[in-house]
Amino acid sequence: MSEMSEDDFVSGGSDGEFDIDESMESDFEEEEYGTQYLDDKDDRPQKKAYEVDFSVLTENQIKTAQHNVVEEVSSILGFTQENSAVLLRHFKWNKEVLIEKYMDGSQKLLQEAGVDLTGSNKPEFKVIPGFSCDICCEDEPGLETFALRCNHRYCADCYRHYLSQKIKEEAEAIRIQCPSDGCKILIDPMSIQMLAGPDVMVRYNELLNRTYVEDKENLRWCPAPNCEYVVDCPVTQKQLQEIVPTVLCTCGHHFCFGCGSNDHQPCPCGLVKKWLKKCEDDSETANWISANTKECPKCQSTIEKNGGCNHMTCRKCKHEFCWVCMGPWNEHGTSWYNCNRYEEKSGIDARDVQAKSRASLERYLHYYNRYANHEQSGKLDKDLYIKTEKKMTMLQSASGMSWIEVQYLDAASKVLQQCRQTLKWTYAFAFYLQRNHLTTIFEDNQKDLEMAVEGLSELFEKPTDQLANIKVEMMDKTAYVSNRRVILLDTTAKGLQDGTWEFTVEF
Amino acid sequence: MSALCLNRLQEERKQWRKDHPFGFYAKPARGAEGLDLRQWSCGIPGKEKTLWEGGLFKLEMAFPEEYPTKPPKCKFVPPLFHPNVYPSGTVCLSILNEDEGWKPAITIKQILLGIQDLLDDPNPESPAQAEAYNLFKKDRAAYDKRIRALVKENHAT
Repeated sequence: MSEMSEDDFVSGGSDGEFDIDESMESDFEEEEYGTQYLDDKDDRPQKKAYEVDFSVLTENQIKTAQHNVVEEVSSILGFTQENSAVLLRHFKWNKEVLIEKYMDGSQKLLQEAGVDLTGSNKPEFKVIPGFSCDICCEDEPGLETFALRCNHRYCADCYRHYLSQKIKEEAEAIRIQCPSDGCKILIDPMSIQMLAGPDVMVRYNELLNRTYVEDKENLRWCPAPNCEYVVDCPVTQKQLQEIVPTVLCTCGHHFCFGCGSNDHQPCPCGLVKKWLKKCEDDSETANWISANTKECPKCQSTIEKNGGCNHMTCRKCKHEFCWVCMGPWNEHGTSWYNCNRYEEKSGIDARDVQAKSRASLERYLHYYNRYANHEQSGKLDKDLYIKTEKKMTMLQSASGMSWIEVQYLDAASKVLQQCRQTLKWTYAFAFYLQRNHLTTIFEDNQKDLEMAVEGLSELFEKPTDQLANIKVEMMDKTAYVSNRRVILLDTTAKGLQDGTWEFTVEF
Repeated sequence: MSALCLNRLQEERKQWRKDHPFGFYAKPARGAEGLDLRQWSCGIPGKEKTLWEGGLFKLEMAFPEEYPTKPPKCKFVPPLFHPNVYPSGTVCLSILNEDEGWKPAITIKQILLGIQDLLDDPNPESPAQAEAYNLFKKDRAAYDKRIRALVKENHAT
């Protein structure tokens, strides 16, 4: 390991100032990107090329936001809030489109959205003498019935049944139509409130919120289990070729706003998808076969030569041929075991194709092995993180340090994990890069980060009694590693924005 | 069987016996323990003035426990050569899909009439079997010929 050079760099760079320690501790708790190292002269942290603006919203904020738009639209168009909400949902909460369409023709719009203002019936419970329900065929006197404005009347029980099926079983909230065949009137929220029981209502409100978030392009639920926060980020799907919008939820989960998967900086979503698919499907199996096997010239069975001489006898059809020239063995005459037949052009071509497959397979495996290696190390580092807490407690009792004083271990372990994640994806990114001088710079950055990470990882392996002595070294290394990551991500993100990277595939 | 399901099916049977469209039949299966209201055998005639005129096609209707909240499953027995009928014989029609057009108020009569309409008016947007769909799309003359043969095989007597 090149620990010497790293140490040199760090001690030269920090000039023995120790205020960097304090800033580091707070940084890693609140803002893990640690942007402040680079611009300690500037008070305000500057936004890096790989960072995006985002905010985290709670469920209540989502509700308030919906309420505000509904109020606004209802005051402009003069509808009740319920009807405005139905219209907004119909237009996926795009109020500009809604207002524009309304100006074009209100009646058609209302019909399309399932809002009926023409029907005369007031939605309420009624008991009608001689009524028989068309759904359950119940005709008991005193049966409670319900109908929307369209006056398609059914008994209240059937209505409740229908709503609970739609809402609880089918997770449908905004497009529940009147139960009558062909009637497109939507059951409005007021009627649902009148009919549905409390458990159905809870689910209904959840679904309304969910569709709101799903309809808005700038919102996404945090994908972490049981997390109920929503992230608001202005990056659109079209921009995903130029930016990798990684966000941090209040629950602590880092994820990509573009595709919802775990943080995959610096690799753009499109490449991530391609890479994962490539790793999953067996396109590389085919490559392996063509790189390592030949077909029997007679029966086309696939043969792998795993040793022995060039005199091949096909196990299936007993054809004897030469592995080198693929010609029949008996034509070799006396030059057995030393094929010196004239190279036919077709033979050269065949070998060319094989060489190409072989090179392509080797290239893929080069990147895949490193990708998988970091993934595996990342998993081990997670175990390490769990152990870290134990180590911190042990260190406290062994060295008499306070809880605050041992926080550097926690910070280091967090940085380590984050860098492993980044490194992992640099290999998928590099796999799709066209080779040029930029690639060389990228690989240098990658190498620097990789070596720094390994160095830090090694320090972690030290026994607890030595950990107290290497506190300074560890903190310096943590800062350095984190710095290398920032540099790598920043240059990559800039390249994506400016379109200077050349890729071997379209995404 | 739930009371709702049973009530509704009894009423459907009553209504059908009182009045039903010409050429159709629909009756609950007769099992070892008497009538099984959740399993109906039906017959759908081809519509007049269409290729299908003169044919009678057998269909089984199976009602789930949740009927009429959920739609019955309709299956041609034997499976029918038609773009919207699965190789198993199951009919692909929006009103028979609980997530799509199914409404609890749809009656057996409406279902059967809906399927009759589908016979001569296939929906190329949701093909269910490759054979009939490909022929319908690529060689209408051959498709029509197949239908005529089919009607001959299943002639209403």
